[in-house]
Amino acid sequence: MAAAGEANGGTGKLEFSLDVPFPSSRDATIALRSLSPDKEPRKGGISKLITVSGSTLSVRWSADESRILRVSVSSFLDHLSLVMETMEMFGPPVAV
Amino acid sequence: MTVVIGFEGSANKIGIGIIRDGEVLSNPRRTYITPPGQGFLPSDTARHHRAFILTVLKEALEQAGLKPADIDCVAYTKGPGMGAPLVTVALVARTVAQLWGKPLLGVNHCIGHIEMGRLITKANNPTVLYVSGGNTQVIAYSERRYRIFGETIDIAVGNCLDRFARVIKISNDPSPGYNIEQMAKKGSQYVELPYTVKGMDVSFSGILSYIEDAAHKMLSSGQCTAEDLCFSLQETLFSMLVEITERAMAHCGSQEVLIVGGVGCNLRLQEMMGVMCKERGAKLFATDERFCIDNGAMIAQAGWEMFRSGQVTELEDSWITQRYRTDEVEVTWRD
Repeated sequence: MAAAGEANGGTGKLEFSLDVPFPSSRDATIALRSLSPDKEPRKGGISKLITVSGSTLSVRWSADESRILRVSVSSFLDHLSLVMETMEMFGPPVAV
Repeated sequence: MTVVIGFEGSANKIGIGIIRDGEVLSNPRRTYITPPGQGFLPSDTARHHRAFILTVLKEALEQAGLKPADIDCVAYTKGPGMGAPLVTVALVARTVAQLWGKPLLGVNHCIGHIEMGRLITKANNPTVLYVSGGNTQVIAYSERRYRIFGETIDIAVGNCLDRFARVIKISNDPSPGYNIEQMAKKGSQYVELPYTVKGMDVSFSGILSYIEDAAHKMLSSGQCTAEDLCFSLQETLFSMLVEITERAMAHCGSQEVLIVGGVGCNLRLQEMMGVMCKERGAKLFATDERFCIDNGAMIAQAGWEMFRSGQVTELEDSWITQRYRTDEVEVTWRD
């Protein structure tokens, strides 16, 4: 898991990115589809993009304030660990 | 045969139940109980659900004696409820649905209560009183909707009871409402409280403010006991509920009442409703705490009806929603 936070000079926004390795691209896609449907609770000030490339799930945040960013990243990590625990206990995925 | 697993966690209970064609195969649940004087907050409740959901899921499968392959559909509560707990439960439901290759189905929590009540009691077409910590509605079915005839215009009846319990530090174990019910049995003096029925609707926030104030003054001066206040509060709140239920019955020409939701297992409420029903020659249906209080099987049962009528929820549409009215759902499984 690799994470990096930086203040982007170009947009003036705080940006944060996170890469999460999964055992397979199938697992990464399941996590993506479990984590994507719920939008950020607040109306503005933050955006989050989740993508999958190979077996890596990547998330990129862009926020106006560090406070909002911290809440979003922290809640995402809670969600991610629950999804990963669920996959460990009730996986592997059935053949399609 | 159709087997549906249901995930519920919109408030302080995390429950997972499995239903096979009207038969409850398993229905384990855990309740987040806060210390006396404290309510449950969304983030703490979500943390509780995260800590227990996978254990409860394991129990649900083991008690039912089923493997994931035996399940036909994964139902979960889409709303209404607290955001953080709802998301927690939806995450696990989405993940297992994908792992097991099963369709997903988002269920309206209120519809879950109604369908579970209908299943357990065999009530055919009842006027429904749905009373819990978050909801207070009088509902009747007509033309593919559960229509709301009356509801609270501010807080839910269970919220009024819970918050009164907090004021006088009644235990939240097993639930504040249960402990108020037990204390009310020992009350002897009726303390007059505001009675706020407004047409078909009810209002509880003014009663709560009034009794909070009365509690501080009357308890310290020894004018009444905590038991008297519990008794008086129940009598007042439940009379209001019986009144609007009776009016809805008269309007619909209904001869059946079904009480659902957590407050619905209060035996004094059932008794008062029973008296009204007897006077009208109507029949009362109610369930006990296994099915009245939030549980997974109720979501599985509503999910079963929805799935059998051809509904599923695509993953991208599976977002949760804190606000989701009972009458927003098209009832595709009833005539």
